[in-house]
Amino acid sequence: MKVLVSWLRELVDVPVTPEVLANDLHMAGFEVASVDPQPPSQPPDAVIDFEITANRPDCLSMIGLAREVATKYGTTLRAPRGADLGPADASRLDPLTVTIENPTGCPRYCAAIADVTVGPSPAWLVDRLTAAGIRSISNIVDITNYVLLELGHPLHAFDLDTLAGSALHIRSARAGETLTTLDGQKRALLPEMLVIADRDRAQALAGIMGGGHSEVSAATTTIAIESAWFEPTSIRKTSKRLGLSTEASHRFERGADVAAAGEALARACGLIEQIGGGTVRRGWIDACASVPAPRVVRLAYARVGAVLGADVHVDDIRRILTGLGFVLAGEAVDHTLASVPSWRVDVSRDVDLIEEVARHYGYDRLPATFPALAQVPPRPDARLEQDGELRRLATAAGFSECVTFSFISEKSAREFAPADELVAITNPLSELFAVLRPSLLPGLVDAVAHNRRHGQRDVRLFELGTRFLRGTGESRTLSLAWSGAATSEHWSGRARPADLFDLVGVVDVLGRAMGLTLQVQASVRPWLTPGRTAEVHAVDAGGGARLLGVAGHVQASLTTARDIPAHDDVLVAELDLNAVSDLVTMLGVASAHPLPRFPSIVRDLSILVDESLLAAQVRGTIQAAAPVTLVRVAVFDRYQGKGIVEGKVSVSYRLTFQALDRTLTDAEADAAMATIVDALTKAHGAVRR
Amino acid sequence: MAIADIRTQFTADLASVCTDADQKALRDQYLGRKGGAVAGLMKALGAASPDQRPALGQQINELKQHIETTLDQRLASLSSARRPAGAVDVTLPGRVPAIGRLHPLTQLRSRIEAVFARQGYEILDGPETEDDWHNFEALNMPPEHPARDMQDTLYLSGPWDRPARPVGAVRGGGPSGPRVSGADVPHPATLLRTHTSSMQIRYMESHEPPVRVIAPGRVYRRDNLDLTHTPMFQQVEGLVVGEGVTMADLKGTIIGFLRELFVPDIPVVFRPSFFPYTEPSADVFIGCQRCKGAGCSMCKRTGFIEVLGCGMVHPAVFEAVGYDATHVTGFAFGVGIERLALLMHGVEDIRLFYENDLRFLEQFPL
Repeated sequence: MKVLVSWLRELVDVPVTPEVLANDLHMAGFEVASVDPQPPSQPPDAVIDFEITANRPDCLSMIGLAREVATKYGTTLRAPRGADLGPADASRLDPLTVTIENPTGCPRYCAAIADVTVGPSPAWLVDRLTAAGIRSISNIVDITNYVLLELGHPLHAFDLDTLAGSALHIRSARAGETLTTLDGQKRALLPEMLVIADRDRAQALAGIMGGGHSEVSAATTTIAIESAWFEPTSIRKTSKRLGLSTEASHRFERGADVAAAGEALARACGLIEQIGGGTVRRGWIDACASVPAPRVVRLAYARVGAVLGADVHVDDIRRILTGLGFVLAGEAVDHTLASVPSWRVDVSRDVDLIEEVARHYGYDRLPATFPALAQVPPRPDARLEQDGELRRLATAAGFSECVTFSFISEKSAREFAPADELVAITNPLSELFAVLRPSLLPGLVDAVAHNRRHGQRDVRLFELGTRFLRGTGESRTLSLAWSGAATSEHWSGRARPADLFDLVGVVDVLGRAMGLTLQVQASVRPWLTPGRTAEVHAVDAGGGARLLGVAGHVQASLTTARDIPAHDDVLVAELDLNAVSDLVTMLGVASAHPLPRFPSIVRDLSILVDESLLAAQVRGTIQAAAPVTLVRVAVFDRYQGKGIVEGKVSVSYRLTFQALDRTLTDAEADAAMATIVDALTKAHGAVRR
Repeated sequence: MAIADIRTQFTADLASVCTDADQKALRDQYLGRKGGAVAGLMKALGAASPDQRPALGQQINELKQHIETTLDQRLASLSSARRPAGAVDVTLPGRVPAIGRLHPLTQLRSRIEAVFARQGYEILDGPETEDDWHNFEALNMPPEHPARDMQDTLYLSGPWDRPARPVGAVRGGGPSGPRVSGADVPHPATLLRTHTSSMQIRYMESHEPPVRVIAPGRVYRRDNLDLTHTPMFQQVEGLVVGEGVTMADLKGTIIGFLRELFVPDIPVVFRPSFFPYTEPSADVFIGCQRCKGAGCSMCKRTGFIEVLGCGMVHPAVFEAVGYDATHVTGFAFGVGIERLALLMHGVEDIRLFYENDLRFLEQFPL
């Protein structure tokens, strides 16, 4: 809302400069977008552009802001005067008839008739409209716009001679009906849209824009001026549906002043005569289906202090509310009954009045205190605490945290999840953000590619966030991506490239940190390289395995498509934290055991087995065959090549035996080893080397 | 050669001694029994007259001692400069362990959470896909409410009956124990939450007052990606509800928070604003830290920068969750983490936070 200060001064005394005014109203809730000084004058003039919040349609007008000024500075408001139109009739002013067929959409419709000479507007009128950002069209149209700015009430002028039957019907649009609006667009109307029609057809889109056929032109001699009130929701829906927003619709959809319809009509008629634009006929139409009685809101004075935490004096409360147009009834010491002025569509409760008091009292005058703590503060959500721990561990393992978008392109999503698991967005702004991510991996692999393109070869990234799958809903997910070296670059030697076992080791650490026992097995995923894909399971209390996630090499076709060189492996892991949330003991209290008091015995065992035999199977056989004194099994060598038969592999294990209650003898260890070797030979045809 | 000349010559020769062998050669040259310079002098001493002999002998002795002492010192300094077996150049770079970094947005979010956790706020987690009730209606934004335009929403294709994701730790018994309200009926998710206020509704639906929570998390708006906008960003919203909670408490809380986050003397200004879920509402500005209030491009020459929105919880919100608005009052605030991060770190392009370029991420503390 652009306000020409010299125009405002006509409505209220402004005892300050435009700059001070702008700042004071800014601090009263009217954000100032700009202050444009005008040519030097006394007092100084300027155009102040205010951003009016959606709850204050009354301040989309000069009079509304003038009321704020009057309250702010304690000066007097001078409401503009209109013509005396004489008595009103409910439906008829010869030859015009008005019929409200849809009283829900239009509770009040006022009209007057004027015989006019259409021509240019006087300079002052053109200047004021220009300052407000509105183009001058003709004296009649300019006056409707002038009143819209001055009083905030949209008006419309019809060329009365173009209206079939000299009739105005306020009705819903008919099925298939069309209207060419003033902007030249032919618009298809829907039955939920409200129109102003003559006897035969729609002539205006109610509250939004007039029609071309009944537009005021240079040839117009008689006009019907409309000043109505339309139901906000209906205007809003139609405006959105047609993608057509105007000064009129902007005000009606936020809520115009139903009581101001007659006043605005009189003001327009008075201006027509004042500028010599024509003569207004005596009498007017006020078709008023229903105008709500003013709301009365009870305000207990104590409540002002209770909400604001400041001791605002009753005199201040009454002064502010009265200044803004509230009529205060009742002389009780502890409360007042405030009649809400018709233009304040935003006020219906005591807190609304308290806000008015606070705005004009000044937020800066409120004290700054702290709320009392009434109870022991609870711990943060356990999920958030665990997230923090997992982030700490991931960074300690060398991974830097990413934040990628929660929505991705459908193409990327399909590469990493089955199509029927995807949740799409109905109104995405871009194809790139069309589907909720079913996995964090597309974003991470993109981030690896971005870094690779910018010269970073060794990249370790992770993200902790939500993935969205139709089947399982939102799940907290931790994903890792690793490309390049396993060790940092150093002058002492070449860095070793990272492989799957580096990543599985990190997953193992994360799993142990969560208190999980993990099992890894070979698996298949379409986005991971066959033979280099592992499923990670967590063992539950009953010994069952629950899928936690996957780890593997991303398919080369997916990485090369992202400009990652074909020889660069990208290793990824994705863990679904929701799947194991009941098994996680992280942040719980650990119980400690005493250290063993007796020495352990370490024995090495090298065996020759088929290369296809899984390490997990050998380990299982060893553990099953060994006595309880076997406390640790480690693989320390794995060898194929010279001296080893083709198709076989030599694997070396280091076995640690220990008893808690005695020192083990060599004989006991020898016996255990014999049993283990025997079991390995029987189960796998293993040969001890 | 005169004694003084030998001394001068020795000093000159000493300067070129670099190794043990040099030192030994020099020693032979001056102190050698045969042919050494000092030995030569001793020989000549015999030819000197008896009355000169004692004084001359003393001078020769002094010279000999000087040369011996000096050569011993040089030998010691040569051996101390020698690298012992197994010596390394300790100035070569060490092997740096790979340590990753937390994302700057996570670092800032943690700082904000820490400020409020210290003041007794419970930190919440909750669903990112929401239903209309929790995102809009319960927050005093019925369908067709003009304020819905303020937050352009992203909708999901087909409602989604996702499994519940509880909000807030469940507290046992007592006045603040878990409660069940009519609004607990599950609603299918139809949109991406436009603010984390939805978590506050969920929390109030399941907990009696007093309430003191913050709700951090990702939120989504139908905004194009540009220097200052993204379709996804992170928020921290706060909510305090109880008897006697006032707007002055809100002011104190916000001022304390901003002073801790920025600098203790930062100017903080509250200006009336409008949000459907608070009444009265305020926008909060801080003094521009770049120009210290003088006016610059960052603060659009105003000296102030808007950092958050807040207000007293609207009674309609309390009614929606079944709280008695005549007994409790409350305040709420919401702050965008990216916006604060831009201001604090002097970042001019918000997209840098989502590119995940290690060259950017590594500018933030380990």
